[in-house]
Amino acid sequence: MKGKITMIISIGCTAFILTMIMFTQFKTVEKTDITAIETMREAELRTELADWKVKYEEIETRLTDAEAKVNEYQSQLANNAESSKILENEVADAEKYLGYTNLHGEGIVITLQDNDMYNIEYTDLLNLVNELNIAGAEAISINEERVVSMTDIVLINNRIVLVNGKRISGPYEVKAIGDKKYLESAITIKGGYKDRTEAEGKTISYTSENNIIIPAYQGNLTLEYAEVVKDEN
Amino acid sequence: MKKSNIGILLGSMCCLLTIGICVQVKTVSSTTTTVGRTQMENGLRDSVLRWKEKYDNAYAKLEKEEKELENLREQASNTDDSASDMSNRLSEYNSLLGYTSLKGTGIVVTLDDGEATTTKMLTSDIIVHDADLLEVVNDLKNSGAEAIAINDQRIVSTTAITCAGNIIKINGEKVGAPFVIHAIGPTLKMYGAITRPGGYLELLEEVGVKVKVEQVEKSTIEVPKYEGAYKFEYATNVE
Repeated sequence: MKGKITMIISIGCTAFILTMIMFTQFKTVEKTDITAIETMREAELRTELADWKVKYEEIETRLTDAEAKVNEYQSQLANNAESSKILENEVADAEKYLGYTNLHGEGIVITLQDNDMYNIEYTDLLNLVNELNIAGAEAISINEERVVSMTDIVLINNRIVLVNGKRISGPYEVKAIGDKKYLESAITIKGGYKDRTEAEGKTISYTSENNIIIPAYQGNLTLEYAEVVKDEN
Repeated sequence: MKKSNIGILLGSMCCLLTIGICVQVKTVSSTTTTVGRTQMENGLRDSVLRWKEKYDNAYAKLEKEEKELENLREQASNTDDSASDMSNRLSEYNSLLGYTSLKGTGIVVTLDDGEATTTKMLTSDIIVHDADLLEVVNDLKNSGAEAIAINDQRIVSTTAITCAGNIIKINGEKVGAPFVIHAIGPTLKMYGAITRPGGYLELLEEVGVKVKVEQVEKSTIEVPKYEGAYKFEYATNVE
């Protein structure tokens, strides 16, 4: 009788310990499963890598640019020459980027037109501008209205489209300067902007050209509410 | 207790344990096959970190150079009046281009993916899309915003908002929900425009996106500077 009880107890204990071990095992396996998730991220890692390369290149160009300017200033100052010349160049560059100058260059001209069934909506233009920016457009205009940082594209009275607060109407001619091959493929890619617009029954056409002229912004960009944050260091 | 009972008990226990161990062995062997891949990934991860470091270094250097440039400009502008005029204009332009961080009064709009409370709700409706951000930014510009940033990404003229799979990128930078949009400008006007009945935000709220709008009138909000670069390779000034 006594022997039986000790036997049962000892068997029970062993079983218990084995179960415990199994559970800890399961836990560990669960943890090592993270590696499985990590394999899923391989593609993500690749895009991440490409992203950092692009960002690095961008900063690198800005850096070489800044270094060149510093050198220029230094030599000008050392020679006591007219330093305003460099400033002038810097201002001219800034004006170009802000949209204060007429620009020309290769690019694409896209025409969106109302047809009997469907009208072009402001969102079509808003999305098109974004698509062109994705494709690296350097300057964009809609019916000769230059798209700048604070350009808005809105609809009033359900019929009139305003760009930069100016009234425009169809056909809408959207011009973009940039790598014309790149711009064209961005718009015409299967399932891209052109396909989507046509699927909605709207009329779209485009031509890529070697010399497009995009007019300067007619307004004036000002900052009334915003002020520069001074660096603490 | 009968001997046969103990026997059955022991047998079934052993059986269970064996099954458990077998399952374990299977799982473990399937995870080990991924080890090779993980190594490649670690390589990738390393190079990502290397490029990030290179970027960080270049960025630090750029900041130094730009400060130096600022100093030199000041020195240069001391030489004559027209130069100081020009340097003032240049700093204003740099603010407009997004090359400086700005602060001021304005509003903060937060958009977050909603939760499906009823089965009628569509997942595609309750998450925030790139097009939603475009619309809200457009609305803010229309109501007079001077500087806008989404999750600290400054919106400039060439900013693209892209959607790749379930990731949204702004200025090529990954951003995720919740989307916090800072806009400096006329607070009341922007607030009124963005929360108007029938406006885009109301629409978003109706389909189940979480929307929050705050007015910041007493203190200021900050919009960080653009970290990218303007680079015109194809566009030149018309002479």
